[in-house]
Order: sequence, then structure tokens, then C-alpha cells
Amino acid sequence: MDERELFATYRASGDIALRNRIVEQYLYIAEMIAKKFVGRGVEYDDLLQIASLALIKGVDRFDETKGVKFATFITPTIAGEIKNYFRDRSRLIHLPRRISELKLEIKRTADEFLSANGRSPSPQEIAQILSVTEEEVVTAMESGNVVSLDRPADEDGTSFYDVIPAAGAGEDFERLERREVMRSALGDLNNEERLIVECRFGRGMSQAETARRMKVSQMYISRMERKILGKLRESLKKSVAD
Amino acid sequence: MMLMTMEFPLNREILTTIRLSVGGLCALTGFDLEAAEDCKVCVTEGLLLLMHGGSERARLSFARENGLRVCMEGTGKCAPGESAPEEEISIALLTALVEDLSWERGENGSRIEFLFKGL
Repeated sequence: MDERELFATYRASGDIALRNRIVEQYLYIAEMIAKKFVGRGVEYDDLLQIASLALIKGVDRFDETKGVKFATFITPTIAGEIKNYFRDRSRLIHLPRRISELKLEIKRTADEFLSANGRSPSPQEIAQILSVTEEEVVTAMESGNVVSLDRPADEDGTSFYDVIPAAGAGEDFERLERREVMRSALGDLNNEERLIVECRFGRGMSQAETARRMKVSQMYISRMERKILGKLRESLKKSVAD
Repeated sequence: MMLMTMEFPLNREILTTIRLSVGGLCALTGFDLEAAEDCKVCVTEGLLLLMHGGSERARLSFARENGLRVCMEGTGKCAPGESAPEEEISIALLTALVEDLSWERGENGSRIEFLFKGL
């Protein structure tokens, strides 16, 4: 019985024994493809299991009347299932597709700009070349920098895991509020820094809006924000220690 | 923009070296780890196709073009004929992972070209 007849018979009868025979006949494809994805942190046996499940589903979905060979049909199906598994497993934090794409475009544009001009482009120049806003460029550039909870949050070696409050830690924050820690911390900032905090966190303005208001670049606001948060963190740490 | 060209004898021992080089290029291109691994699979499949076709040497070139454009040419004794099941799977896998795939096999050699976008 050739491939087409085999599938046509299965389609007509729905015979599970025949389906199993078909699966066994094409199991070598699942094995071959699983091997091609080895070495990415998933055991071969697990990959084979995923590939085999995709094969079983594929046997039911295959339409032999469309003139495509089963191997041609099932290969991308199995590869797709394996890739989905990797994606679900590895991307605990998903970046929106548009931002991922923009990030790649920015990298390519920056490299080309550097080759042509002998200097790195500013976010504004990248934005002009790619016909996007400066804010989108900065957002994409800053995205994806995932920080481990085990990474030290300060020089003492305290990890982010230790300093990020657990659920139900509201009382601690109320206590901090009562002591007016924040007010004191803000007192350590200069006028420009206080204005940025007011715009960004008091009025909820975007970095671009804040930059326009202060007549500076968005990148400058982005850098200042990081500096201010560092300062505030230091002040808060001192206050908590007191 | 052309990034790199390599010429090497086509044997299985050298595939690991090629895969490592491709991994490095993917890092330069800005692909994430998963995309880099996929790109390595695609280049390996292409080279296996050249080997199955009887090519003895390969010329592999990479250009940056909204992703990574890969061109591989096999030279040496070539045996055009009916494709083996492994070749069908290689082609189907490449078709699933890349764009603009073209594959030619002639008496004087084989040529495979594709664009890997990495997304």
C-alpha cells in the first residue's frame, strides 16, 4: 500500500491500529528532527516525546488528496511544536514582537551608521532613519535587559530577592511613609532631578513628554531617571538602617 | 553588507567548527540564543544537502540583509538524482525556518541560498 492509499484507508476507516502503524512507519522523521534540536538544554528523550506527539496529531490532520508528501507536511509541524516548546520554556518574560523586531532593526541601523559615519548614532538619528519615535527607540533599547533576582542589588551583596517586598509587606511601607522617608529622600535631589520625578511619577508624563518640557533629549531623561532612582535607593537604605 | 566567506572541505568533522562560527555571526547580528540555534540548524541542513549531493568542498558566505542571508555553494563531483528521504526532511525543515529558499543541483555543483530572519 503506498502512502496515499495508506492515509486514504485510515481516513475512511478511522482505525486506530492503522494509525499506530502509520505513526510507527514515520517515527524515524520524529527521531531525525528531535536530534536536530538537541543541545539546547532539553534532553533528547523529551524532544522525541514532543516530536512523536506532533507526529500523531499530524497523521490525523494530513490530507493526502492535496498532493503533498507526508514527510514534507509533517517536518515543519514537528519543528514548529519543538520550537513552541523551547519558546514556552525559555521565554519566561515575553517581549512584544514589535519591540523584538525594532531592537534588531536598531542594532543593524546603529552598526551601519557607525561604519558610514565613524560614530554611533543618537536615538534621535536612529528614530529618523527607522521612521519611528524617539521614545520607541529608547523603549526598545532598554527592553529585554532581564535582571536576575539573585543578582546583588548593592555592594553588600544583598540580592534583589531580599530587597523586593513580599506580598503583605504593606505595613512596612506604611511605617516608611510615617517616617517621611520619601520626603527626606526627595530632599537630597537637586531642582532638576525633583522636576523629573514630579513630571514622571507625579504627573505620569512619558519620558518623551518630560524631555520636551525640559528641552533635553529623551535619552538624557532616561539616564537621569536611573541616576535619581539610584540616589533614592541609597537614601531609603540609609533611612531603613537608621 | 557582506560579513564573512568561508571555504572548507565538506566532511562531518568540520560541521562543528562551522556551527560555532555561525553562532558567533548570529551574536554579531543580534539574534537571540534561540534564533542563533535555529540558524545553526539551517546552515547544517544546507551543508548536509550539499554533502548528499556529492559536493566535496563548500563555499559559505553570509551577508547582513534584514537578517542573515546565507549562500552555500558545493563543488566537486556531484550526482544529481532522486532525493533521499533525509534530503526531503532537510528541505522541509529549511522551508519552515527560513525565507527565500532556493536550491539548485547541477552536474558541476549545488547551490543553496536563503534568508534567515531570526524571529
